[in-house]
Amino acid sequence: MKKPLIWLVGLCFIQTLAFSQTKIDFREFTLDNGLKVIMHKDSKTPIVVTSVMYHVGSKNEDPERTGFAHFFEHLLFEGSENIERGEYTDIVEGNGGALNAFTSNDITYYYELMPSNYLELSLYLESERMLHAKIDDIGLETQREVVKEEKRQRYDNQPYGTILPETLVRAYSEHPYRWAPIGSLDHLNAASLDEFMQFYKDFYVPNNAILTIAGDIDYAQTEDWVRDYFTEIPKGKNAIYRPDIVEPKKETEIRDIIYDNIQIPAIIQAYNLPPKNHPDAYAMEMLSTYLTGGKSSLMTKELVDKQQKALVVAAIPLDLEDGGIFIMYGIANMGIAPEDLENEIDVLIKQVQEEGISDQDFQKLQNIIENNLVSKNSSIEGIAQNLAEASLFYGDTEYINRELEVYRKVSKDDIQRVANKYLTLDGRVVLYYLPKPQESAQNQ
Amino acid sequence: MKTLYISLFAVLFSFGAHAQVDRSVLPPPGPAPKIEFTDPATFTLDNGLKVFVVPNDKLPRVAFYLILDRDPLFEGDIAGLTGFVGDMMMAGTTSRTKDQLDEEIDFVGASLGAGSTSLSGSSLKKHQEKILDLMTDVLYNPVFPQEELDKLKKQTLTSLASSKDDPDYLAGVISNALVFGREHPYGETMTAETVEQVTLEDVKEYYQTYYKPNIAYLAIVGDIDATEAKALVDKYFASWEKGDVPKFEYEQPELPTENQVALLDRSSAVQSVINIAFPVEMHLTNPDYMATRVMNFILGEGFNSRLNGNLRETKGYTYGARSSFGSDKLIARFSASTSVRNEVTDSSVYEMIHEIRNLQVNGITEEELKMAKANLSGRFGRSLENPNTIATFAINIDRYDLPEDFYSSYLQRLDALTVSDINEAAAKYLKPDSMYITVVGNGSAVKEGLSQFGEATMYNYKGEEVQEIQLSDDNKTASEVIADYLTAVGGVSAVENIKTAKLEMSAEVQGNKLDMTAIYDTENQRLTQKVIVMGNEVSKTIVKDGKATVSSRGKSQTLTDEQYEDVKMASLWLIPELYYETMGYTLVLDGATEVEGKATYKIIISNPTGGQVVNYYSIENGLKLRSENKLSGDTTFTEYKEFDGVMVPVKMSIKNPMLPVPLETEVTQVELNVPVVDQDFN
Repeated sequence: MKKPLIWLVGLCFIQTLAFSQTKIDFREFTLDNGLKVIMHKDSKTPIVVTSVMYHVGSKNEDPERTGFAHFFEHLLFEGSENIERGEYTDIVEGNGGALNAFTSNDITYYYELMPSNYLELSLYLESERMLHAKIDDIGLETQREVVKEEKRQRYDNQPYGTILPETLVRAYSEHPYRWAPIGSLDHLNAASLDEFMQFYKDFYVPNNAILTIAGDIDYAQTEDWVRDYFTEIPKGKNAIYRPDIVEPKKETEIRDIIYDNIQIPAIIQAYNLPPKNHPDAYAMEMLSTYLTGGKSSLMTKELVDKQQKALVVAAIPLDLEDGGIFIMYGIANMGIAPEDLENEIDVLIKQVQEEGISDQDFQKLQNIIENNLVSKNSSIEGIAQNLAEASLFYGDTEYINRELEVYRKVSKDDIQRVANKYLTLDGRVVLYYLPKPQESAQNQ
Repeated sequence: MKTLYISLFAVLFSFGAHAQVDRSVLPPPGPAPKIEFTDPATFTLDNGLKVFVVPNDKLPRVAFYLILDRDPLFEGDIAGLTGFVGDMMMAGTTSRTKDQLDEEIDFVGASLGAGSTSLSGSSLKKHQEKILDLMTDVLYNPVFPQEELDKLKKQTLTSLASSKDDPDYLAGVISNALVFGREHPYGETMTAETVEQVTLEDVKEYYQTYYKPNIAYLAIVGDIDATEAKALVDKYFASWEKGDVPKFEYEQPELPTENQVALLDRSSAVQSVINIAFPVEMHLTNPDYMATRVMNFILGEGFNSRLNGNLRETKGYTYGARSSFGSDKLIARFSASTSVRNEVTDSSVYEMIHEIRNLQVNGITEEELKMAKANLSGRFGRSLENPNTIATFAINIDRYDLPEDFYSSYLQRLDALTVSDINEAAAKYLKPDSMYITVVGNGSAVKEGLSQFGEATMYNYKGEEVQEIQLSDDNKTASEVIADYLTAVGGVSAVENIKTAKLEMSAEVQGNKLDMTAIYDTENQRLTQKVIVMGNEVSKTIVKDGKATVSSRGKSQTLTDEQYEDVKMASLWLIPELYYETMGYTLVLDGATEVEGKATYKIIISNPTGGQVVNYYSIENGLKLRSENKLSGDTTFTEYKEFDGVMVPVKMSIKNPMLPVPLETEVTQVELNVPVVDQDFN
């Protein structure tokens, strides 16, 4: 009888540690065609999220045909065999719903948020999209134009808008992470309808997708409807292409200047990261919070508040499946040379590398992480996405309930260790964003 | 065998059951779910603080939102004051410095923020007392350090300066000034002058006057029940002392008797921002509130709304067009807005007025009503997921004296609306002949086209009407204005005598010194300009041998022939007016306008390759008050001084998209006809 007791004590201990993280209850099953289905019931509000996460992002693209995954984010709203062109949005909005989608280097995510009595309709819409989306030349032409405007608005015409593509192209020499999801307009223009159809057949298949339903649902009824609408969708014929490319370690620093339509110079540093599910990823996330998360964080306090050398400074770990990048960026205050700001950033990075962080700061980080993880699941929209990501990236949906535990394994020393291991000066990318010269030089 | 049979049956059955969906029709919805929400627990403290508790144990978090319900405030010559109050309260207390406060908030992973009518904190449940301790410290004991106010004012001035180039901001300033009047809290605008005049005393007085429990609501939302909340509120808020809070009344703005066109001229604009607006009395308590929500959805909210459908989907004029129909206890406004390219500015205004009038006269269709109802009720349902919504509902019912079932009957009231309800509301509330049409755009390109809607009145960035200047002499020509200028600066022969010139200038940017030098060699058409920041040369421009080269931070670039022509026209000579005629530039007198309060002639100078410089010459004394061109931005000359019989500008303000604040530049040294050597131009 003693053993169970110890086990129970152990269980309580874990529970206490994980005190603040509310357990997310879910059910899951897999159809014969390989479609993974996750359901989460929460009847507080009569709404339901239906989402599909396809395991295809810009990294699955042909280097000569970049931008496909993102382009599909547009194409798959065009309609299907049974849904007329342009009606997809009308059906959702006209029945009180809202919808959206996004594309990353690793995944594409589509979702509808509807009144809960329209669950069957949402499942029908997503199954139509997976079974037989209709892509024709008119749709292609229209969406090419829309994507052109999107690129202008979000990248070209946006101050500092090109940071991501400019950084990626230098941070990777081999891996397909070297291009951003928006890709190349030339590639999209050059591609034929057949090529798009082939991409659809290759990647938008049930065995490459996770369907998540969260909200005011009945588990049994939902499962029945899922089987009704998704069982007939055939499994993909071809093996799914996943790049097996190891990015070689960079030995020398890459340094460049980008001239942009901006007013104030910015500096960007990028360091290569381990894969998303590597244990060091958690320490890196905590390190970024230590550096720039909150008004009292090291760099914000020192560079923005005290020295006033930066208007903004931020550390963002872009964690990707095959190893992302840790982006550090600062926008210089007026009259501050970017070199000056970069030196100060480096001084603070070296400080962490040499001295590590204090017990007080370590405790603060744990508290902030705890708060962030709890807040992450504040809406069913968030829960649906987090469930799908847990399953896709960590191979275990239950990860959504274990995440805080994993963070708790990071020690104070780990944070200093990863700062030394990954924030290496040789092998990093440094970009200066400067105002376009012919204009700045003509101020008089 | 038995198990096998059963599973086989199950497979067959499942096939039978799952293969029958008819994909040619949309699956019908289930019975509409009941949208319910329980009213929050509520109690009032002796000091008048009204508290609403919305328990929600979904996550172990608690949030405290404090809202002050005061009358709108006309800030007048210290407009901008209310923008400082919150940050000043967060800048330290009697027992905590700003650093300590920041650290303690972050330490528990919490958040705390203040504004002029709100103070809110949120944290994990286990830190609720900590966040209340910090929140009430900020509420009761702020110290208002002077250096923080100085820092905030500086930041505000910086952002104000850059917003002078933000067309959406400018359209808002003008439209609000017109709709509500500049003497109304909703129509006034902060300017550099009013910000400068805000003192620490003003901030303290605001805090002491308005941060009172008897005008406050506290909403507590999250993992907490009413009993626990009551105990906490007693502990932390009972000692808050009440006080008399002043009330204000304002004159209600009136509709214009006919459509009025307001134009702010930005000669560099490639797009026009259009805003069509009028004041309207509309609030939650108005019986037509629901009908006007539906009406506006159809006019300009949905993706396929009338405005977006027409201007974007059919005409392709814009990326988006929208309208909004406000709701406010004092006074609200209707507005329709869009951004379009210059050429279609008047066509867009035409179509927008057409859509407003068409809706007012002809009403809506059954199909539109159905779509709008579905969308608005879906939106209402989704909003309930956020427990803050419930708190807002309860506070609104108390604050505006709404019927108890205002929100619980919202969907029924929405559903009961008929086509004729919406049509009556449209006929009553849309005013296609009493609107303010504000356009921020390129005046010379759009002004004439806009005249079909009424004569355009010119406005400036403060929302003030620019006095239309009568040309004192209608027969004046551009060449005469230039000749007058040359006379004003000392006469043609004195100007012709300047063969070379060396100028040194300095400016200060946020505490850093910036030096500029310029060397002119008129006869050889050579020029060097250098910009030096803190001893480092940050850029250099050299014009010689028919070429212009710009170097910056080690990179150098030779400009195209076209750019060279533009640089030549704008910058090559100390007094370029002398060469306008000989260089074959075209001069056009484009009327009279106001520059910094002075009446000027506007002259557009164009070169054969299409480049333009726009100069403004004082009508009173002939001097050049401003010069605008794409390369160097806008330069305003504020002071001239005589050197060797020639008036040279010695103080100027340079505005340029690359500069966040105008560069106040002073000429520190002028040397005329000094020898120059080839090295000067390398």
